[in-house]
Amino acid sequence: MNRSVLFPCVALLVVCGFPLVVHGEELRDSIDHQLAAAWKANGIEPAKPSSDGEFLRRVHLDLLGTIPTHDEAVAFLDDTRADKRKLLIDRLLNDPRFAEHQGEVWDMVLFGRNPPGYGTDKRDEFQAWLRDQFAKNTPYDQWVKAILRAEGNTIDNGAPMYFVQYRNEPEEATQAVTQTFLGVQLQCARCHDHPFEPWTQLDFYGTAAFFARLRVVDIGKKNKLTMYAIGERNTGDVLFTGPTAEQVVGKKGEPVKPKFLQGEPLVEPELSADFKEDRNFPNGKVPPSPKFSRKNQLADWIARPGNPYFARAVANRIWAQFMGRGIVHPVDNMSRSNTPSHPELLDQLARNMVDHKFDLKWYIRELVNSRAYQLSGSGPVEAAMPQWFEQARTRPLSAEELLDAWKVAIGWDGIEKSSGKKASEDRYSPLGSGYLVQFLGRPNNGVGDFQGGLHEHLFLNNGGIGSLLSQSKGGLHHSLLNSKAPWTERVDQLYLAMLSRRPVKDEQERFVEFLSAEENSSGRLQEAIWVLMTCSEFRFNH
Amino acid sequence: MTTTPRPEAQRPAIGHLSRRALLKGTVATASGGALMNWGSLFNSASAAEGVQKQQKRCILLWMNGGVSQFETFDMKPGRPTGGQFRPVSTNLPGIQVCELLPKISQNMDKLAVIRSMRTSQVDHPGGIHLMHTGYSTAANIRFPEIGAVVSKYLGRERSDLPNFIKIFSHGNSGAGFLGPKYLPFSLSPEGRLPTFSTSNRNSELESRRNGLRNFVEDVFAREHKAETARMHREAYEAARRLQNVHQVFNIDDEWEKNRDLYGDSAFGRRCLLARRLIEEGVPFVEVGQSSYDSHADNFVWHRSLLPPMEHAWVGLMTDLEQRGLLKNTLIVWMGEIGRTPRINNRSGRDHYVRSWSTALAGCGVKGGLVYGASDKDGIDVKDNAVTEGDFFATIYQALGIDPKTEHFTGVRPIPIAPFGSEVVKDILA
Repeated sequence: MNRSVLFPCVALLVVCGFPLVVHGEELRDSIDHQLAAAWKANGIEPAKPSSDGEFLRRVHLDLLGTIPTHDEAVAFLDDTRADKRKLLIDRLLNDPRFAEHQGEVWDMVLFGRNPPGYGTDKRDEFQAWLRDQFAKNTPYDQWVKAILRAEGNTIDNGAPMYFVQYRNEPEEATQAVTQTFLGVQLQCARCHDHPFEPWTQLDFYGTAAFFARLRVVDIGKKNKLTMYAIGERNTGDVLFTGPTAEQVVGKKGEPVKPKFLQGEPLVEPELSADFKEDRNFPNGKVPPSPKFSRKNQLADWIARPGNPYFARAVANRIWAQFMGRGIVHPVDNMSRSNTPSHPELLDQLARNMVDHKFDLKWYIRELVNSRAYQLSGSGPVEAAMPQWFEQARTRPLSAEELLDAWKVAIGWDGIEKSSGKKASEDRYSPLGSGYLVQFLGRPNNGVGDFQGGLHEHLFLNNGGIGSLLSQSKGGLHHSLLNSKAPWTERVDQLYLAMLSRRPVKDEQERFVEFLSAEENSSGRLQEAIWVLMTCSEFRFNH
Repeated sequence: MTTTPRPEAQRPAIGHLSRRALLKGTVATASGGALMNWGSLFNSASAAEGVQKQQKRCILLWMNGGVSQFETFDMKPGRPTGGQFRPVSTNLPGIQVCELLPKISQNMDKLAVIRSMRTSQVDHPGGIHLMHTGYSTAANIRFPEIGAVVSKYLGRERSDLPNFIKIFSHGNSGAGFLGPKYLPFSLSPEGRLPTFSTSNRNSELESRRNGLRNFVEDVFAREHKAETARMHREAYEAARRLQNVHQVFNIDDEWEKNRDLYGDSAFGRRCLLARRLIEEGVPFVEVGQSSYDSHADNFVWHRSLLPPMEHAWVGLMTDLEQRGLLKNTLIVWMGEIGRTPRINNRSGRDHYVRSWSTALAGCGVKGGLVYGASDKDGIDVKDNAVTEGDFFATIYQALGIDPKTEHFTGVRPIPIAPFGSEVVKDILA
């Protein structure tokens, strides 16, 4: 078959919705084939492949949450092996920072920057537990089940902390759990049946009924921190008794019973007629397990492979984490009115997720090995998250990523070592979480996300990152200033350390001219480092 | 909640204004919209000044926590819900207000009071979002605050001062889907610039560093067209331009001679600063006062909060009028909620949104008007209920921004004021 015949056939396949999945093909290739078919069908020209420097920085940030060192950059750029990208990916996936970074990403998914309270803003144990799940590559369904079953206490295993934030708020828990783990938004159905989605109030309160018996119990202190456990009563229901139209005045209706979303009602064993519930769980004591746990039934239902929402939701969410936007976007609003851009691809991702037993590391490895992930971020597309994945997305670094990347760039480790002082244990050292989060991470768009603006630049321009512009021994500034190498080489080093690439000709000329204009280059070198720390190329992952 | 540092965290949702909608919006923007670029059109200071006086703008006096309608504009003397203050007559025949508002009572000819607000969010976070955006929160849409919308339609490109300034900021909805360009610039309760606002570099070094940075940004922009990166560059420029205008924020030179006009209070100083900013062409300034959330000791709280507030409010209107700015400056007075008719056992009033009061002044709003009414105990609206949507539609209409102008998030159209909102025409001249 010659090319001119093949092309219309591919287009036809897309139009007719024939399966595009070729059996036996690796997922990374399947992704590329399906995206390419959509480009063709829509007349879209994809960007060129990323340069090595572009790819190197991007994949470091996405997998580890920071940039490579100068030496790592040189080693990769000068590596001539054909499969060096694949080898790099394998190395990064085994780096301990992979687990740390993915743990931080998911911690934000589960708690946000400003969790509802009850001490959940300090949750080191939960964070450590989550990090550990990524370090062990625990299958996603298993650690989600552990969060939802919430066994043990918040100090010894961390997982129960998730429900602590929704203390006495079964409706809030319903919204969060369905949105995060099932990718659907039921909140409209809290007050009325959804006008154009299948969700009814019975769906909402049917789910809330699983949480109605949960209690957050303070079971004592350990290391000066309150230990919480999630208790579950044997009785108790949601207050909702059904749609208003069905209610009879003066008559108390039957509370809505637990029902799986768009599925069957929960079958519950009857309590014996003489059963009498103890008074509420006393503080200081581990609450006893209920005779029958609604919560565990829901946890098992949510995280089972056959759940129609669960695998799709996580496949789509992680796709968006690496590719920019979700195939359904926003990722937590899968609905009839918000359809996928590549429906068959999403079906396949979900299916593969189940087949590979929710192995997130496998999935991430496939994504970042795809040619689509490795497209260039430069090109004519103005959308930061291109609709057809035809160009790499441009995403701002989180406050934590920025800090970590700055520290690598300016050689903070070396400065700390040379100082002879013990390295700080503060995650936000040396800038401190206060300013860093205030200026680069605090939600300011009403729904928990950060948008950068004027305040950020004032912080960067007027001294906020001064402590990173250190001239001390062991750091980038000190080593470049005291180097005997010609400025051309030193500018190469500067660019490699900060932007993970070598400068192009006009960049090198301009920087050499700038840095060599005076006998003492110290001040100018500091300015050049500041420029590269604050520029758009650094601020974004692209 | 959508709360990850996800890739889209900082970018506006897709819905910038469509071209068609922009055209509609601009046409409807009687004097303002067509002048979005006015700053660059005029070289002559006097011509610019003339246009600037035409330019519509808005000051929001934000009564955080929820000011009581019963202790301000909707008294119920002699009723069980009436409370302990007495009504006083005003310069409008037959209209009374609370004795805590003596200066306002003599300036009612400038105000349109709405006594029939009925809104939908009864708690603080929900109410603060609602009365800053006109919308209830939604998990998948980030609604912009009114200040962001106004700065988009009435703001000046490349002005030294930000287009949306909050003094003692409340609410964090920010620019929502309009994007970081329209984020508020927040000053402290004392009107001070935020930390790190002032450059301590000498201007020669600053400009040398800036030259190199511009070069680096230009190189990146050659190949990278993403709008987030563009907005990042624009915000950097705005941060630098701000260095030129620091003196605007320092009201000390003017305070002595205006102290009596505005009243010697923190709120008075905030209002004077707001007038300065408006005079400099900033299209939207929010001035906050806190906190009216008087679940206990409602009367004590109002007795302490209202006198300085009303003094400053009247001072602000007087000052703007004398400068010829009141006719183009809309003053919006509101909190996020009203307070309960019932006085609780701690002499407090709780949250209430079935019937409460707000007020407007200036910018084509009919003065001397009391619109709508509550019933005899203030429990429900008797006449002409005004929803949050109607209220916002009326505000936008007064500012010359068509409230039906649509933004798009994806394919979903989001009008500036919610669907079905109606402009309260009786309030506008």
